[in-house]
Amino acid sequence: MSEEKFDLVVIGGGPGGYVAAIRAAQLGMKTALVESAHLGGICLNWGCIPTKALLRCSEINHLLNHAGQYGFKINDFSFDFKKVIERSRGVAKQLSGGVQHLLKKNKIAVFDGFGKIAGSKSVAVEKDGKAVASLRAEHIIIATGARARSLPGLEPDGKLVWTYKEAMVPDAMPKSLLVVGSGAIGIEFASFYRNMGADVTVVEIMDRVLPVEDEEISAFARKQFEKQGMKIRTGAKVVKLDKGTNDVTAHIESGGKTETVKIDRVIMAVGIVGNSENLGLEKTKVKIDRGHIVTDEWSRTDEPGIYAIGDVTGAPWLAHKASHEGVICVERIAGQKDVHPLDKSNIPGCTYCMPQVASVGLTEKAAKERGYELKVGRFPFMGNGKAIAMGEPEGMVKTIFDAKTGALLGAHMIGAEVTEMIQGFGIAKTLETTEVELMHTVFAHPSLSEMMHESVLDAYGRAIHF
Amino acid sequence: MTGQTQERIFATPLARRLAAEKGVDLATLKGSGPRGRIVKADITSGAATPAHRPSSQSTPPQKPASAPASGGIDAKQLADALGMSYTEIPNDNVRRTIARRLLESKQTVPHFYLTVECRIDTLLATRKDINDKANGAYKLSVNDFVIKACANALHAYPKANVAWTDSAILQFAHADISVAVATPNGLITPIVKKAETKGLRQISEEVKDLAGRAREGKLKPEEFQGGTFSVSNLGMYGVPEFGAIINPPQSCILAVGAGEEKPYVDGGEIKIGTFMKCTLSVDHRAVDGAVGAAYLQILRQYIENPISMLL
Repeated sequence: MSEEKFDLVVIGGGPGGYVAAIRAAQLGMKTALVESAHLGGICLNWGCIPTKALLRCSEINHLLNHAGQYGFKINDFSFDFKKVIERSRGVAKQLSGGVQHLLKKNKIAVFDGFGKIAGSKSVAVEKDGKAVASLRAEHIIIATGARARSLPGLEPDGKLVWTYKEAMVPDAMPKSLLVVGSGAIGIEFASFYRNMGADVTVVEIMDRVLPVEDEEISAFARKQFEKQGMKIRTGAKVVKLDKGTNDVTAHIESGGKTETVKIDRVIMAVGIVGNSENLGLEKTKVKIDRGHIVTDEWSRTDEPGIYAIGDVTGAPWLAHKASHEGVICVERIAGQKDVHPLDKSNIPGCTYCMPQVASVGLTEKAAKERGYELKVGRFPFMGNGKAIAMGEPEGMVKTIFDAKTGALLGAHMIGAEVTEMIQGFGIAKTLETTEVELMHTVFAHPSLSEMMHESVLDAYGRAIHF
Repeated sequence: MTGQTQERIFATPLARRLAAEKGVDLATLKGSGPRGRIVKADITSGAATPAHRPSSQSTPPQKPASAPASGGIDAKQLADALGMSYTEIPNDNVRRTIARRLLESKQTVPHFYLTVECRIDTLLATRKDINDKANGAYKLSVNDFVIKACANALHAYPKANVAWTDSAILQFAHADISVAVATPNGLITPIVKKAETKGLRQISEEVKDLAGRAREGKLKPEEFQGGTFSVSNLGMYGVPEFGAIINPPQSCILAVGAGEEKPYVDGGEIKIGTFMKCTLSVDHRAVDGAVGAAYLQILRQYIENPISMLL
């Protein structure tokens, strides 16, 4: 068993942990990373990345089904579901290997095992119940991520009732599917399976799909999903799942009425909880609130020398938030100048369903609730040349400004490629631009991004093409 | 102020807009953003206060200039390197404003200096006479006479009562005299407005009131912003003469030294008189040497014959 001394030990090799480790190595810290499963974490192995590979396939399927619109005549085509899944796994594997290479390149010691805090400034690494290493470090970052939340009575069994993990690697295409929860994860699976041809029902306990998004965007998305044949029940909950041998009967309650639907499989996507257990935190001052580790703006826990970043610290559960927190945390430890806490209102969120949804900052409702006087601009894809040329006329770009100061409070988009466009508003917001700079920015023609410009103009009654 | 060679202030567009709305001078702020960039939070945090700076119509609305650098060598780095012991006295907004404005003045305004010597025996006698008869109702200082003399001279010779702008020289109708006052927080220059229209007693009372409130930090912005000409007097410290830095966008500042007894020749006779040296710092862009000299000549006449100020 090795016993080594480091400047920093990171527990967890996801997008928070491995990025923090690389930044620490760049700053000259002797760094160790402990990972019990896959480098790259859920994001790279069981989340963001493999689902994007799947959604690419469902997009292709959708295009092939609509090839006639573009003048193609395709008499017959089909897909091999196994290969679709294999491709997704291959992508994850390739990128996980990439992370391994990056860690090696940065001379980070990687320990394969489960890391636990063992007394002050010490991490014990276990593998298959055996102690394999003991690491000492002045600074320890916990980046253990999160896992799917389960509801009592609706616990996933991995066969008929799936979490995201089983939903990503099924043996065969389910013919019909119930998705419980319409956040980003639920909706992406619903969109994938629907566009691959499954009969999909979505149940959401809130009154709208994608409940964290702007209300207008939620309503727009719902319309599009329903147009694609998705069945959506909002203000509804699954009260019971009767499991058959190869199917499930779900009892869905809404507005005092109960309906039953028979489906092949169920995907539970009702949120996530932090992996804050079994980390040896009981003997420390680290506080845990409803499964999430409590930290300050520099990712410090209440125990000196122990930090936590990413999903294990709570919402928003986003890989890029974890990475950023990791970098800030490490730079602060290293005493770098010009380090600033993460401004969560500048973190974009993307959902890669069809049509895509992307946003940054406050929703219109949240902005109003905070007492802002607003200027709101909207621009529809229908008014944009590139969108029409692409055959993607459904979507909108919405911008929200503080009427008093011209501060960009929020941007909300739905439609083709908006997950790439949102960065424009992310930069604008981070640099604290006002409507004036956005109006003065020259947007290339023809591009979908022109709608960002038009939406800003519209907020001030100056839209040209609508 | 010139608006010519300006150092760039890094501030976000939103911070600039908020600062303009709140009347905050960005140059007085320390940015908390990346590389010291001024961000919204620096304006809204409450740390920002409206700028303590004179403004005039000639002043461009945005006045970017960074906090002054200390001439290329960082004093702290050097002191640390040499192991010198020191106390750090943090710079407040007033200190930063003084530093920035005077650095900018000295770097961008072409100064030249003219010195005259005034015999103030008559002035001192007149002052004594007036004060004796006041029965304590008021007490005129030598500086009150100097302020009055400066104002009357500017009124008589407005070519020295000017400010430079790129397109024109502004010649002011009134002599608004900025009087340098030392306060615990630093230098501030409250203004005796239209001083040419005011009597010595009124000037004296105004200066007392303004200086008192300046020391308590209770001046309103309009009481120290503006001014067309400055007077700085270090006579009470025994300084015989000095050259002052122009207070932009003004063109002239008069540095007044201590009255000193010395022999002089009058009509072939050696006499003893009290002399006071006055040095005028002049912005050559707006005021030429001859103009400055002519002004000093008039000023000297008023100081040496204070009774003529009654005319």
